[in-house]
Amino acid sequence: MLLLSPGKEQWVITDTSNLIVNGSTNINKFSCEIPSYDRLDTLTITRNGKGALLSGNVGLNVQSFDCHNSMMTRDLRKTLHQKEYPRLFIQFLSLNELPGLTAKAQSVTGLVNIQLAGVTRRLEVSYQISADADRTIHLLGFKTIKFTDFNLVPPSKLGGMIKTNDELTVTFHLRIRTI
Amino acid sequence: MKKILISGLLTGCILFILSYSGLFLSVRFFPALFAEYNNPLFNSDGNRDLLFYLHAFVFSMALSWFWDRFKSLFHGSLLVRGLELGLVYTLVALLPVMWISFSALDVTLVMVFSWLIYGFIQATIAGVVLALLNP
Repeated sequence: MLLLSPGKEQWVITDTSNLIVNGSTNINKFSCEIPSYDRLDTLTITRNGKGALLSGNVGLNVQSFDCHNSMMTRDLRKTLHQKEYPRLFIQFLSLNELPGLTAKAQSVTGLVNIQLAGVTRRLEVSYQISADADRTIHLLGFKTIKFTDFNLVPPSKLGGMIKTNDELTVTFHLRIRTI
Repeated sequence: MKKILISGLLTGCILFILSYSGLFLSVRFFPALFAEYNNPLFNSDGNRDLLFYLHAFVFSMALSWFWDRFKSLFHGSLLVRGLELGLVYTLVALLPVMWISFSALDVTLVMVFSWLIYGFIQATIAGVVLALLNP
């Protein structure tokens, strides 16, 4: 079992981290993925009583979204205004609890700022945290968001006969190494 | 002129109901056919929805004028005259437009073929209605 040492610690996000967005329209479901992380970013974690403060920003390239259907991929990028806002950002703020890191995933919640198409919203995210034998920390985050929360219009086609539902489920899997 | 406008307007109303209810039912019962419309080529923010729904009237007015000008060339029962107008419209107007659409736009053959069939059915219905209203 890995125990976080008191005080500050730095985590580096590895390139195998990913983000998946699941959504639906009135005719189908879609799943769009950013399969890897193209930057080297760190998170700083500071123990704060039972919980922890986190600082660090993850900037994901909207161009990297892949919906496994070229037309749908381009449609999502257009909806997210990729030309004006090429990256979406997740800024980590806090964890309500700092668990011991074991192979068994433990559930915690935390606050993040998500910036999408230039609009930032503070949200509570559910996490599952675990660590594998390789000492890689797995931070699995889940959050349901809405296009309209970020002032985005869910796409609709053919005079509204094909409508994208407002809700999206975002799952990100950060693979982290302690430095 | 009055006859062209009135028959065009009535045909537009009938086509509006039939076309959009048909489209609504097709989306509902054959959703897989419409998945390709999740494509940035198609307007997605709703600011042209009114134009989309006015299509039936633009189409009917144009065919109403055409029908009034050339109806003497169409013979037979209502259905035969309607079918003939549908075929003429498909060959003269739709086919070349669909051809250039497929060659220039990132759309599938199935999508273009469905537009061709949809347009043929619309023009045939318009032909039957126009033959009835303006024999």
